[in-house]
Amino acid sequence: MKNNRFVYLVLLPIFILLAVFFVLPIVGGLAISFFDYNPLRAINHFIGFENFGKLMSDKIFLKSTANTLIFVGITVTLNIFLTLVLAQLISMLPWPKFRSFFRVIFFMPCVAPLIASSVVWGGLYATKYGLINNMLKTFFGISPVNWLGTASYVMPAIIIFTLWADIGYNIILFSAGMDGIPTDFYEAAEIDGAGMVKKFFYITLPLLGRTVSFVVAMTIISHFQMFAQFQVLAKLGGPENSGNVLTYYIYKTAFQTKDMGYASAIAVVLFVLIMIVTIIQQRLNRVEWGY
Amino acid sequence: MASNSRKYYKLYVVIAVILMVFALLIIAPYIWMMLTSFKSTREVLYNPGKVMPIKWTLSGYITVLTKSPFFSWFKNSVIVSVTVTAAVIFTSTITGYVFSKYRFKGKNFLFWLVLSTMMVPSQITMIPRFLIINQVGLYNSLQALIIPAIVSGFGIYLCRQFCDEIPDSLCEAAKLDGAGDFRIYASIILPQLRPCVAALAIFTFLDIWNDYLNPLIMLSTLKSMTLPLALTYFSDAHSTDISAVMAASALIMLPVTILLLCFQKQFIKGVTISGMK
Repeated sequence: MKNNRFVYLVLLPIFILLAVFFVLPIVGGLAISFFDYNPLRAINHFIGFENFGKLMSDKIFLKSTANTLIFVGITVTLNIFLTLVLAQLISMLPWPKFRSFFRVIFFMPCVAPLIASSVVWGGLYATKYGLINNMLKTFFGISPVNWLGTASYVMPAIIIFTLWADIGYNIILFSAGMDGIPTDFYEAAEIDGAGMVKKFFYITLPLLGRTVSFVVAMTIISHFQMFAQFQVLAKLGGPENSGNVLTYYIYKTAFQTKDMGYASAIAVVLFVLIMIVTIIQQRLNRVEWGY
Repeated sequence: MASNSRKYYKLYVVIAVILMVFALLIIAPYIWMMLTSFKSTREVLYNPGKVMPIKWTLSGYITVLTKSPFFSWFKNSVIVSVTVTAAVIFTSTITGYVFSKYRFKGKNFLFWLVLSTMMVPSQITMIPRFLIINQVGLYNSLQALIIPAIVSGFGIYLCRQFCDEIPDSLCEAAKLDGAGDFRIYASIILPQLRPCVAALAIFTFLDIWNDYLNPLIMLSTLKSMTLPLALTYFSDAHSTDISAVMAASALIMLPVTILLLCFQKQFIKGVTISGMK
């Protein structure tokens, strides 16, 4: 159909909003990273690549980058492993009511505000009254551990929390993919004498290829951007910055130190990391998957 | 399959038990939160070994409701989430319709622009967005959360995909009958988009209801806050009153959890439809 008046009438307001709140900020974000920018100052100088040069000698930035990569690497690996196994177990159950029951239970933490579940987990991890120390004491006689106050425990604590909070999505996506695999594949394999594990590795996983590559990329991208749990569970970056990640460091630099130019430079680094994942995923997507 | 079922019965029971253990791990934090919210803080601190409250009390909830502007926070959250959800449904469906059914210059470029807004992480746009909001005088108002969220790149993309599946002949027939462009949208396109709109509504509402980063940047006074941001302030201000903090968390987590339990099917379908959050 053709009707330019109607098209412009619809698109004009939409694209004005997109321009003001998306395009302009993207361009602006890149531009600010080349300035020594403090919103409280009247004059802000153009300093070229100075902000980026500063990154290399900034110990907190390097630590946050390492922490971010460790967090994303470990959490996503465990997440994908757990969700594939749980989704497979759920879809093996012959009772539809049980299947939807488990899917809903695992999905529950995904709908709760991340910040609220972080606060609750702050309580679970509490040294004196927390459930976790209590259980450890009751069942194993282990004396209380200061989970969130000890440098080497903060990241594992946050990883466990994040797994709890986020596995529901992928379980649902994977089990939707598994439901789409024709049952004759499994029946044929069974006649050939394949066991459960073999069926998973030789049928489910290869046929789920595209879904897995998409879900892995999306999970990596979303984990790079996680923020709330770090602010709550690793207070001010945690002991010795052990829980400091790029998102938190960007926020702190931009809105507390008010060094928005430098914060934007860090944000550009995060953006590049995410773009790399996106590009790899798109390349993988061109590979022939499926049956 | 019947004989198979019997053969595997033992296996199924084992699987169900394993899943039950995991399910218990998932709900344990909820149970602990609820039980703690009904204890007194004294009891939480001095009787940590007891799981059940020795004496059930509502004092935590009373603290939340009387010592903080909880109802303002709740109202703010409802206003922002409902307005944005309604707006996103309208802008996404009508823009998706235009991209799917109309021919015009620059269409591919404009659609590419829409898609590219989805790829950029909020960390890179949040600083300039804050400066823009500040410049137009919306800082510390609910509009600062509503106006930038009215258009959703993801929503437009999703609705276009669904519009593409509606046959063009349907629209053209209506046009021959004299229906205007908006009329076609309202009476032909919109009813066909129902499953897509349901998924979009659920996830937009959740996104906005749960949003923490935007309010953190855009709002500054206690009374103007939405629930997630307010919770961090409340838990810092009452950090020694654990039962009140858990009561506040429960009050924030319960509405969405109840929503999920009531609309299970739509939620699960929504996740698979939208592919992602």
